[in-house]
Amino acid sequence: MDPQLTSLVVSTSETARIEETLDHLIAETGANYSMLLDKSGQVIAWSGDTDRQDITSLGALLAGTFASSREVARLLKEKEFKVLFQQGIRENIFTELIAEQWMLVVMFDKRTHIGLVKVLSKRATDDLTGILDRVKSESRAKDQIISTSFRTSVEDTIDLLFKD
Amino acid sequence: MAIINVAQREIRCKIVYYGPGLCGKTTNLKYIHKMVPETAKNKMISIDTETERTLFFDFLPLDLGTVHGFQTRFHLYTVPGQVLYERTRVAVLTGVDGVVFVADSQPNKMRDNIESLRELAQNIKNEGKKFKDFPLVLQYNKRDMPNAVPLEQMNYYLNSQLNARSFEAVASRGVGVFDTLKFISKLVISKL
Repeated sequence: MDPQLTSLVVSTSETARIEETLDHLIAETGANYSMLLDKSGQVIAWSGDTDRQDITSLGALLAGTFASSREVARLLKEKEFKVLFQQGIRENIFTELIAEQWMLVVMFDKRTHIGLVKVLSKRATDDLTGILDRVKSESRAKDQIISTSFRTSVEDTIDLLFKD
Repeated sequence: MAIINVAQREIRCKIVYYGPGLCGKTTNLKYIHKMVPETAKNKMISIDTETERTLFFDFLPLDLGTVHGFQTRFHLYTVPGQVLYERTRVAVLTGVDGVVFVADSQPNKMRDNIESLRELAQNIKNEGKKFKDFPLVLQYNKRDMPNAVPLEQMNYYLNSQLNARSFEAVASRGVGVFDTLKFISKLVISKL
């Protein structure tokens, strides 16, 4: 991906395809929750338990954990660690890197086996790679959203909110 | 890199507070968290050591509300300033849209400031970005210290090549905190 790119537009149809892939993954694995993160920790899409709280914080922490493990990999002269597995008493988290830019996160409990999550996540990441390639190549509709009047309105809001 | 999610009508940007150990990065975030309206703030997360030094990062999501139909959010992070956490700082910088470099105005901290700024420049370059064009603002903190280095010297040592916008601050009392935040937020939006 072009490192000079300052923003990425994910269209409605692409989000729908990503959500469909996540829905499918949850249905097949019996997992509780799944989400797609970008490497900076932003949540692109999610599926599963609707009452899950603090998705934003989860995204930031999981992406931080993954970025930290990438630095560990570099110290070990590995290019990267493709997957991370965090095991809890009630719930486990499986995270897989997609195209060095995104992360697929699957949360599941003892009703689901890690092997199944691993195999089906691999299939989902293949599907997501195709969708995300399209997001990158088609990220063009920005000017319709980030107009001059949008920037002015954001600046006004910043002045209004960010004060003592 | 900012994410514009059309389906969820959301725009999210990442701003990182960078600088040497004990320069006041976390103090900036704590003050912002204390002062922004309830509607704009979310829970602040700090991953720190037993002595309350930042171990991984602080994280504060700020919600601007809906602008032109898009919910606009800034995610503020700090890095751990201590020298040994260099690789952790690289991890926190991943996907960053803008940086506030917090410098400590005390004379005995000038070398730490210079080294930290140099490291930041290298880390941004390693992300494939041009440091000169990257959204950056300098904050000269602890201006209330009786031995604070004069402003011209701070600029000479830290900003003579960058020519970035700089703000004087006393973050513990909130002085300059919002001026810095406003400037970097607008700069990031202008570069989207």
